[in-house]
Amino acid sequence: MTKGSSETGYGVYWRAWLVLLALTLMMIFLDQASVSRPVLVSILLIAMLVKASVIGAYFMHLRFEKLSLALVVGVGLLVTGAILFFFIAPDAVRISRISFP
Amino acid sequence: MSDAAQITESAELSWRGETSSPFGVHWNKLMMWVFIVTDGLLFAGFLGGYGFARLSSPQWPDQLEVFHIGVIGLMTFILISSSATMAMAVRAASRGERTVVVRFLLMTLAGGLLFLGMQAYEWTGFIREGARLFSNPWGPPQFSSYFFVITGFHGSHVLTGATILAITAARWSKGRSSAEGIELAGLYWHFVDLVWVFIFTLFYLV
Repeated sequence: MTKGSSETGYGVYWRAWLVLLALTLMMIFLDQASVSRPVLVSILLIAMLVKASVIGAYFMHLRFEKLSLALVVGVGLLVTGAILFFFIAPDAVRISRISFP
Repeated sequence: MSDAAQITESAELSWRGETSSPFGVHWNKLMMWVFIVTDGLLFAGFLGGYGFARLSSPQWPDQLEVFHIGVIGLMTFILISSSATMAMAVRAASRGERTVVVRFLLMTLAGGLLFLGMQAYEWTGFIREGARLFSNPWGPPQFSSYFFVITGFHGSHVLTGATILAITAARWSKGRSSAEGIELAGLYWHFVDLVWVFIFTLFYLV
């Protein structure tokens, strides 16, 4: 552990756990509720990113590390993942529209 | 001291994370982060491929009809809770609370084993209903392929994490592991939890 984290007790972990639990329950309830598909997917994706941020920031202590490490890890993973998906997604949509004889 | 000697000393200190390292962490923690990023990209590839299959398929099974979402929710709860106890173990280790660390590590390990047991239950039910690696009764064969590959890879990570936790707990109780060792094991365990957050949302809910 590095700077800052030594100043916190167990309370921060309990609060992070509660946030994660609340978000998970909200996602499950929303998934079974009658919400329009685009709204549902948007909310689920935002909740997913918030949960990932809470785990990274508080459980993995990225909040207490140097900003350079947090940026390399967070941006590196998310941007690479997003590039990967958005490069192949147009092809996937195109394939689904092709009609085979 | 000559310029060459100063540069060598500066490089060594940087590598140990003691002075001007751009990341300010010890080298073994930096290597754990490198591993986490590369392993994360492996799962990003899986989930990207899953997204491709999903978008290119004219139909896709309704997950609520195929999976017991209550069981999956419980698995998520267990993994999140085990991540919290792991974070507390790391905190206790930095305080030097020896018995508390072992208690939290064992709680984390129990959570991991419970998760694996529930995953085995889920897989058994899925296979009994006719799902195979290349076919399933619900339509697109990619559905079960991605299910087995993604959850199987994640499960293997949980199993690896549980093994690391058991070894770390044993070593710590004998005084043969440092607080940094607990922190590195914790980073791996939180990564396993982090990956599940994405799998849970993208595979089971969206």
